[in-house]
Amino acid sequence: MAYHAALYVFVFLPVCLVAYQSMPQRHRWKVLLGFSWLFFYLISGKLIIYLIGTTLLTHYTGIWLTLLKEKECREKEQADRAAKREIKKKYQKQGRAVLALGVILLLAVLAYMKYYNFFVDNASLILDRLLLPLPLETKRIILPIGISFYTLQAIGYMADVYWGKIRAEENVFRNALFLGFFPQIMEGPICRYTDTAGELFAGKPLSYENLSDGYVRIFWGLFKKKVIADRLSVPVSAVFDHYGDHHGAVIAAAAVAYTIQLYMEFSGCMDIVIGSGKLFGICLPENFRQPFSARSAAEFWRRWHISLGTWFKTYIFYPVSMSGLVKKWNQFGKKHAGKYITQLGVSAIALFPVWLCNGLWHGARWSYIFYGMYYFTLILLGIAVKPGRDRILKVCRINEDALYWRIIQIGKTWVIIFTGELFFRADGLRAGLSMFRSMFDGFDIRQFWDGTMLGFGLSRADFAAIAAGCIVVAVVGHLKERGGTVNGRLKKVPTPVRWCVYYALIFAVLLLGAYGDGYQAVDLIYAGF
Amino acid sequence: MKTVKRVILFFVILAVLLGASSAWIHAEAVKLADFIPGRSRPFLTIAAEKKETLDLVVVGDSESYTSVSPMQMWKEQGIAGYICGQPGQKIQETYYMLKTALKEQSPKVVVLETNLMFRDPGPIKNLQSTIAEPARYHFPLLRFHNLWKIAFDGKKPGEPVFKGFSIRSGVAPFDSGDYMKETEEVQEMPKAVQFYMEEIRELCKRSGAELVLMSAPSPKNYSCKKHNAIENYAKEKGLTYVDLNLKIKELGMDWQQDSYDKGDHLNLFGAQKVTAWLGKYLKEKYEMPDHRNDPAYENWNRMEKKYAEIIQKAAL
Repeated sequence: MAYHAALYVFVFLPVCLVAYQSMPQRHRWKVLLGFSWLFFYLISGKLIIYLIGTTLLTHYTGIWLTLLKEKECREKEQADRAAKREIKKKYQKQGRAVLALGVILLLAVLAYMKYYNFFVDNASLILDRLLLPLPLETKRIILPIGISFYTLQAIGYMADVYWGKIRAEENVFRNALFLGFFPQIMEGPICRYTDTAGELFAGKPLSYENLSDGYVRIFWGLFKKKVIADRLSVPVSAVFDHYGDHHGAVIAAAAVAYTIQLYMEFSGCMDIVIGSGKLFGICLPENFRQPFSARSAAEFWRRWHISLGTWFKTYIFYPVSMSGLVKKWNQFGKKHAGKYITQLGVSAIALFPVWLCNGLWHGARWSYIFYGMYYFTLILLGIAVKPGRDRILKVCRINEDALYWRIIQIGKTWVIIFTGELFFRADGLRAGLSMFRSMFDGFDIRQFWDGTMLGFGLSRADFAAIAAGCIVVAVVGHLKERGGTVNGRLKKVPTPVRWCVYYALIFAVLLLGAYGDGYQAVDLIYAGF
Repeated sequence: MKTVKRVILFFVILAVLLGASSAWIHAEAVKLADFIPGRSRPFLTIAAEKKETLDLVVVGDSESYTSVSPMQMWKEQGIAGYICGQPGQKIQETYYMLKTALKEQSPKVVVLETNLMFRDPGPIKNLQSTIAEPARYHFPLLRFHNLWKIAFDGKKPGEPVFKGFSIRSGVAPFDSGDYMKETEEVQEMPKAVQFYMEEIRELCKRSGAELVLMSAPSPKNYSCKKHNAIENYAKEKGLTYVDLNLKIKELGMDWQQDSYDKGDHLNLFGAQKVTAWLGKYLKEKYEMPDHRNDPAYENWNRMEKKYAEIIQKAAL
C-alpha cells in the first residue's frame, strides 16, 4: 500500500482521520502512532522490528546524552572556572562517545542491510585477482521500507540532543511517532525534531481548511504521479533496460524522460505526503522548490530533495568545516598556498564527504557513487571558476538577471541534470558510460518527430497527456516561483470557480491517469532507496 | 453548519458529475467495444449483446476463454453461449462481470471455471479489489477512462474474438505425465473467494441460472488437492461440479497436440474437444434450447461461418 494507491487515499487516510478525531486531543498522537506502525507493518511485515529497534536505540541514546548534560550542569554549579573547563571537557568526551555509539550502531545496521552485498561483490572481485578466497557470500537481504530515511532522521535527532539544540524526548512512544510517522516513513522528507514534534503531539482537531488543503495537495501529487510519471516509466524502462539496442537521440530522450519521471514521481509523492500531514494539521517541510528553475548545479541541489541536502549540510558539511583537519589546512594554506587555494581546499574537504555520502545513500552501486562525485566535481568547479567568471561577466557587461542570460544558465543546468540522471538510472556505471557514449553515436534530431519515439510503448495520446501534464506543472511551478501558492491564490477566487478547478483536477487524475488496462502499477522509485 | 452543507454540496456535485460522465462513457465504450483493447473488453462486449439472447455464460480466468468455444457449441448444439473470461480474473471481477452479464441476460446456466477459486493475491490486494471492483462497476468511468485516447490514436481493431473465445492454434506439448495423483489432501480456498462465491451463488439464484463449476483440463493449474477442495465445496453447496482433468481419456485429449503452452492453457484443438463434450453435457442435463433456426439469431450463424473460415486456416 503505497501513498498513490487508492487504498491509502480513500480508505487508510479516512479511517485514520475518523479514529484521530474521535479520540480526546491528548491521545490523538497515539492514534497516529498506531496507524503509523500499522502502515509500516502492512508494507514491511515483521521488518517493523528494525523500526522499533531504531526507535529504542535513538530514544535511549538521547536520554543518556541528556543525563550527561544534566550531570555536567550539576557539577559545574559548584566548580570554579578552571574546574568548569575540565568538567566540560570530560562530559564533551563522554557525550561524543555516547553519540558515536548510537550513530555507529544505527549506521552498522544500515550498512549491513544496504551495503553488505556491495562490499562482498567488490571484495571478491579484488581478491579473485589476487587469487585469494573470500570467506563471505552475498545474501538475500530484504530492506525494511524507509530505512535510509528514518536512520538519517534518527541520527539527526541524536546529534541535535548532543549539540543541546533540543532536549531529549522523555516518552519513547512519542519518539516512535517522530521517527515512524506514516506519511513520511517511505520517502521522507527527513525531518528534524523541531520541524514536526510540536504539531505531531498537539493533536489539533481536524478542520475544514486543513482537510481541503490536504486533499487538494494529495490530488495534485496523484496528478503528477499517475498522469506523467507512470506514463513515462514505460519508454524509460524500454530504453534503459535494453540500452545496447539504442543510440543517439533515443538515449538523450530517455535521459530527459527519466529526469521528468523522477521529478514528477518524487515531488508528486511529496505532495501526497505533505497533503497527508496537512489533513492532521501537521506541516511537513517542503522537499522541492521548482528545481528546474535552478541556474547552477549547486542551486539545483538547494531546490531538489531539500531535506536530504539540508541534512548533509547540517550533520556533515558544517561539522567537517569546523573540524580540526579543516583548521589545520586553513593555517597551512594561508601560509603556503594563498587565499584562493585555501578556500578551494576547504570547500573540497567539506564537500567531498557530503557528495560521497549522497551517492552512497541512494544505494550500493558504483553508479550512485559516480553520481555523487559528478556533482562534487561540478560544484567544486563552480567554486573554482567563480572569480574568473565574475570578472568576465563584468568586462563583457553581462547582466546576470537579464532574461537571455538566465535562459542560458537554466539550459546549462538542465544539461547537467539530464546527464547526471542518465548515470543515476543506468543499470550500473558501465551501462551509464556506454549510454553516454552512444548518445553521440548517430545522433539524428529527426528521431524526435519521425515516429521513432512512438516505438517505446507510448502512443500519441500518451505523449499528449504527458505534454499537457508538464505544461500544467510548469505553469503552477512558475506561479509558485513568483511567490505564494496556487492553492492560496485559489482561495481568493469565488467558490464556484475554485470548485471547478478542484473538479478539473479530480477528473484529470481519473481520466488521464495511467492506471487500469494497458498500464502496469509503478512502484515509488525513492521508496527503494 | 455552513461548512458541513458546503462539503455535502461539493460531494453531491462530484457524485453527479461522476455518475453522468460514467453513464456517457459507458454508452460510448459499448459502441466502440471492438476497438477497446485490454482485459476490461468483455465487460463491454457482453453489455453489447442483444438483450435476453444468451443461454450460457462462462466466467473465469484465461482457462475459461481458451477452453470453451461458443461458436462451436452453437454449430453443434445451437446453444447461445458467451465467455466473459479475463486473464487472471480475480473473484471480485468474476462477481461484477457476472452482474454485468445478468443485467440484460437470463441464461439457463452459468459455468464458472474454477482456477480462480485458488487465486490469493494476499489481504491488501484482496481489499483493494474488494473496494475497486464495485467502484468500477458503479462508475464505469474508472474502468474505461482511457477511451479518450481513441481520439488521438484512432480506432485500432483488437484481436478477433468469437463471443469471448480467441483462437490460439499454437502447440507447445505437455509431457510430464499424470498430474491428478490421488490424495486425501485438500487445498485451502481463500476467504475472499469463499465470500464472493456465496455472492455469485445468490446472484445466479436471483437470475434463475444454474451455477456449474467446471475445471478445464490444465496440468499446470490443477491437482487432486484442488479437485478435493472444489468437490467438497460443491457438495456442501449443492452445486454441480465437472472436473475435466479426470476425463482426459473421455475427451480424447492429446497433450502433444492440444496444449498451447506446455500444459497451462488449451489451444484451439484442445478447446474443440472440451467444447464438444461440454455442449453435449449441458444439452442433455439442462435441456438447453436450440436456436440455430431462430431468425432472431441470424447473426450467430453469420459469425459461425466467419469462425469456421478462420479455424480452417488455423488448422492448416
